[in-house]
Amino acid sequence: MKKNKKWIQYAILILFVVIAGVTLFSSVLSNEDIPEVGKIAPDFTLGGLDGQVYRLSDFAGQPVIVNFWGTFCEPCVREMPAIEDIYKKYQSKDVVVLGVNLNGEPEVTVRSFVNQVGVTFPILLDNRVVSEQYDVKYYPTTFFIDSKGKIIEKKIGEMNESYLIQTVNKLLAEKE
Amino acid sequence: MIQNTKCECGHQNPVNTVLCESCGKPLIEDQSMEPLEMRYDGVVRRSQRGTKSVIDVVWSFFSSVKVAIYLIFLTLCGASLGTIYPQENTFINIDPATYYPETYGTMGEIYYTLGLSHTYDSWWFKLLLIMIGTSLVICSLDRVLPLYKALSKQKIRKHERFISRQKIVYTGEIKGIQDEKEAEKWVEEFSAILKKKFYRVTTDGSALLAEKNRFSRWGPYINHIGLIIFLLAVLLRIIVPGWYMEQYMDVLDGDTVQVPGTNYYVENEGFTVEYYSEDELAEETIEKGKVIPELFETKAVLYECVENCNDPFMEPILEEVTRHPIQVNKPLKYNGLLIYQMGYEETPLLRSVNATLKGRESGEEYGQFVLEMDNPKSNYEVGEYQLELVSYYPDFKFENGVAGTKSSDPNTPAFIFSITGPGLPDEGEINMYFPIPQHKVIYQEDQVNEAAGSTLVIDVGSMQDVDFSIYTSFLSARKDTILPMIWVGAAISMIGLIMGFYWNHRRIWIRMDGKQLLLGAHSNKNWFGLRKEVALALEKQGIKVEPKSLENEVKKS
Repeated sequence: MKKNKKWIQYAILILFVVIAGVTLFSSVLSNEDIPEVGKIAPDFTLGGLDGQVYRLSDFAGQPVIVNFWGTFCEPCVREMPAIEDIYKKYQSKDVVVLGVNLNGEPEVTVRSFVNQVGVTFPILLDNRVVSEQYDVKYYPTTFFIDSKGKIIEKKIGEMNESYLIQTVNKLLAEKE
Repeated sequence: MIQNTKCECGHQNPVNTVLCESCGKPLIEDQSMEPLEMRYDGVVRRSQRGTKSVIDVVWSFFSSVKVAIYLIFLTLCGASLGTIYPQENTFINIDPATYYPETYGTMGEIYYTLGLSHTYDSWWFKLLLIMIGTSLVICSLDRVLPLYKALSKQKIRKHERFISRQKIVYTGEIKGIQDEKEAEKWVEEFSAILKKKFYRVTTDGSALLAEKNRFSRWGPYINHIGLIIFLLAVLLRIIVPGWYMEQYMDVLDGDTVQVPGTNYYVENEGFTVEYYSEDELAEETIEKGKVIPELFETKAVLYECVENCNDPFMEPILEEVTRHPIQVNKPLKYNGLLIYQMGYEETPLLRSVNATLKGRESGEEYGQFVLEMDNPKSNYEVGEYQLELVSYYPDFKFENGVAGTKSSDPNTPAFIFSITGPGLPDEGEINMYFPIPQHKVIYQEDQVNEAAGSTLVIDVGSMQDVDFSIYTSFLSARKDTILPMIWVGAAISMIGLIMGFYWNHRRIWIRMDGKQLLLGAHSNKNWFGLRKEVALALEKQGIKVEPKSLENEVKKS
């Protein structure tokens, strides 16, 4: 009888410890969804301007640069040629560049801009879904993801070519 | 020190028992005659037992009512901290890191840094709630089990000292009682009187125990069970994904928007707002020039996606499931999903135009085509002409000789077409088009087109050809699967409260020792009622007593 009671005591206390653990863990977990440097970049699927479907996980094993931009955003427009240069230079080294267009801009607007600037890397159209998933609040925001899918760098604001070269080299160094 | 815990009646009591579990004799020897402490009938609670292991220490910590009160007090203090500034989740579109310092200065920055801008989601708040839950369960178990045991095996003949130290006591000699037989007969008669008063009476020779409304003792514990169910429901709401959801949507008049995270789409078929007329408003309000809406309503249609739901290139195929005019507090309900009206904003935006293609000189109309501002198609066929949309700037700007767009909202829509057809060059004729008349003037549409050698004009005939949207309706979608559990918890808790408040547990003990009658009575509240009941019962047996005189006079020192 006495032993039995002790058992109930243990069971109740353990139950509460478990409840507390699960609750606290789940609140920590919900913060973990926000992509930060050092975390694994969440997967996404988007349609490209070229009519193809792009999935981040398709590029596993390759370093990926994900640039969030819009034609309405001046610094995004200014940095576009630099990104294009990097894309061309490092294509041979398996570096992937994905330009995610924000805010669901009209396709015609995006296409005419891309043609005008001469962007050749894939431009994906996002209707606020992936930008929310990646917690993008300022434009441009660029994520540098290494070949293991880990976020190495998150850059908010305009980038110049030297910054890009430096960071891409860092990505390539991670690969080896 | 080894305590002798065996009562003189022969019952072996656990250490620290106050009143013998069997006969009720006070085990803590003092000579005072003041009324006994009757809590839990003097039984020892688990948390008060002698030996203490680690688990016992934790157990007795949570079983303390004092600790429970501190926990509740701390939780209330914590909860009040969350009311100093608005919480993050009350805003739809802000960046909290900048919002708080900008709006509330340094205090706001401290508030945000301490994480008080999301007090109710913080780990310490949740931990406090769980500790209250633990305390509720352990406090209840620690008390209800011994109490149940004590009440279900009550001895009828109690110790004299137990009866004489109750708060209601009567003692006196009954005339004409010679032997045990007559004493038993007297008790039998008294028992019949009490039974009429709805007491459950048990007798043991010349001793009697009468009891009623024992169930009211379980009231507080049933209340606690309700509270625990309530707390569990709140926890499950946090833990189980998909059981609780709250999403916000801005839906422009005429638009269809996906409810984030679901397969549902909401269409705003029409938004209407009625304002109070001037004679309905107070003088001051009119002077301030405020207009106050009386009623606003979104004619909403809910669709469910049935095909191509996650295909980025295909339009999702939607099927209407329900429609409802949403007003404040009159949500659209479907399958556990509730869509509420939150607010609205005047956002005049052009949605589409039914444009006409005309000859510049002749004014001859070649045909019409629908041009959408949101996501225009790239090719149009108008009469014998083909129009290719080369560029579209939703919010046109012209800086340093370069055309661009300020935002993705169609505030200043500008289109550049390449038109081919009879009498036009093969590579196409470039035509710039501003649908909004004042922009035509500002950006000199006609002059630009003429300079480019355009022979055609795109124009809108009348206001009927313009689809304007004036309002954006703010809607919120909520899903709360666990809500019934919360109601059940609240209902059980209410039942417990009613049980405990409206009834009281009354007990009367009698023992006859020869002629000597000894009566004691106990209740958990409403002593006045019990005294009256006892006095009336005694009177029927020919003993006249004032209800007041039954009060055990010995005051606590």
